[in-house]
Amino acid sequence: MTYVGQGLVNTLLITLIAAVLGLVLGFIVAVVKIAAEHNKWMKIPAAICNVYTTIFRGTPVALQLFIMVFAIFAIPGFKPYAAILTFGINSGAYVSESIRAGILSVDKGQMEAGRALGFSWLQTMVKIILPQAVKNIIPAIGNELIALLKETSIIGWVGSTPGSLTFDLNAAADVIFKNMANYLASGIIVGCCYLVIVYIMVFIFKYIERRLRASDRR
Amino acid sequence: MIDVNNIYKKFGNLQVLKGVTCKIEKGEKVVIIGPSGSGKSTLLRCMNLLETPTYGEVWMEGRLLTPIDPYLHFDVIRKSKTYNAMMLAAKNADPAAAEEALDASVIAEIKAKDLLKKREGKEFAGAIKTLYKENFQDINQARMKMGMVFQHFNLFPHLTVLQNMTIAPIKLKKVPPEEAKEKAMELLKRVGLEDKATVYPATLSGGQKQRIAIVRALAMEPDVMLFDEPTSALDPEMVGEVLSVMVDLAKEGMTMIVVTHEMGFAREVATKVLFMDDGIIKEENEPKEFFAHPKDERLKEFLSKVL
Repeated sequence: MTYVGQGLVNTLLITLIAAVLGLVLGFIVAVVKIAAEHNKWMKIPAAICNVYTTIFRGTPVALQLFIMVFAIFAIPGFKPYAAILTFGINSGAYVSESIRAGILSVDKGQMEAGRALGFSWLQTMVKIILPQAVKNIIPAIGNELIALLKETSIIGWVGSTPGSLTFDLNAAADVIFKNMANYLASGIIVGCCYLVIVYIMVFIFKYIERRLRASDRR
Repeated sequence: MIDVNNIYKKFGNLQVLKGVTCKIEKGEKVVIIGPSGSGKSTLLRCMNLLETPTYGEVWMEGRLLTPIDPYLHFDVIRKSKTYNAMMLAAKNADPAAAEEALDASVIAEIKAKDLLKKREGKEFAGAIKTLYKENFQDINQARMKMGMVFQHFNLFPHLTVLQNMTIAPIKLKKVPPEEAKEKAMELLKRVGLEDKATVYPATLSGGQKQRIAIVRALAMEPDVMLFDEPTSALDPEMVGEVLSVMVDLAKEGMTMIVVTHEMGFAREVATKVLFMDDGIIKEENEPKEFFAHPKDERLKEFLSKVL
């Protein structure tokens, strides 16, 4: 049972760090891509961002994980961090598209109204567009975080032993299986853990969404 | 106050404005009418650079708003102190290049300038920047003096009515929040909506939204107000309440530029009516003469349909 506890903590930790990384990265990439439509200085950064999203959305995350862990960051002791980095960067590519879509879904007139009052493009973005975009982005982000949580279950593929950071829920299931010799039982235990986490996440996101929709009420 | 000088605007392959020149003086109420697709909204939006003209200039109070083109605006550059200081410095450093610059025609001067730029590097680039600052108006600063009202209101749905009205004065003009609030409440009282201060725009009717949009622009204390078909998206019974706010505003002496289909408003309030068709101003006159004796054939046809 301590294995499950340890796996649970590690899974949550991996997901949390990767999610924060993904959100920050995704946000920056989305804003750069949108800024490029108005600002010629952003054209080259936007092209780089496009390459990034294409590569990381276009290849399997397992492949990215292997390349990152065994080729790019083949440094002893760095394995768990390379793995988390991979999940974060991969998630960032998806998140950036969700955020971009959320920003673009805000009525064009809002930017015009902000600019007409004298706000700069960036000020309008920050004060007018983003607060409205968040409402559209949150459901998609929730979706992405749930996917990320479950995606982290492949971290054991690069090797994990109890006690290391790569020892997540799924890895715990393997160990339990060896001890109990019953994959169904260990699978059910770990599956329930994932289910409960996802349920809690859904609950939290519903709450946030409800709060954000306050200004829609008539 | 606003000088529009020979502007052209192209969207893709569509030439919307084909050389429009007009001058708006302080206190004037200019109404722009014309069939849809004639470019009247585009003209209005070019005035505060929501659309950048493909060619031509927009001036506000003697300062250029449209992007600088060194070939077009060299006379402006030449008058500036920085430019003259720059040229003097160049003369000391390299008399030959400076002579070439000062004697030659405008284009040659620009060529000489490029030459100098290569020689002087960073220093020169910095001087050019100051030079622009002296003669060209920062567009965000200019827009703070130009209120704009849109056809579709464009209130900020995530902010309350009061926040809609105070966000720009507080953030841009650094008005203390309490003072901005007081001013906003005063304006709301003027349009009879003081009880709506704390609600979100989603709860308002179209007419109420547009009245809020007008006072939101007024909260910045602009010198001129631009109206882009302010009543076109409204239910007929709400047109009156918005127009009456605009009439009051006109009586207070506000400079106004209005794109509209409300001929009654044009007749009553305008000091000058412009008729636009096919990207140019076809006729320009004071309202009495404009409606009684239209000269342009297309205008006669247009008026016979709308009146």
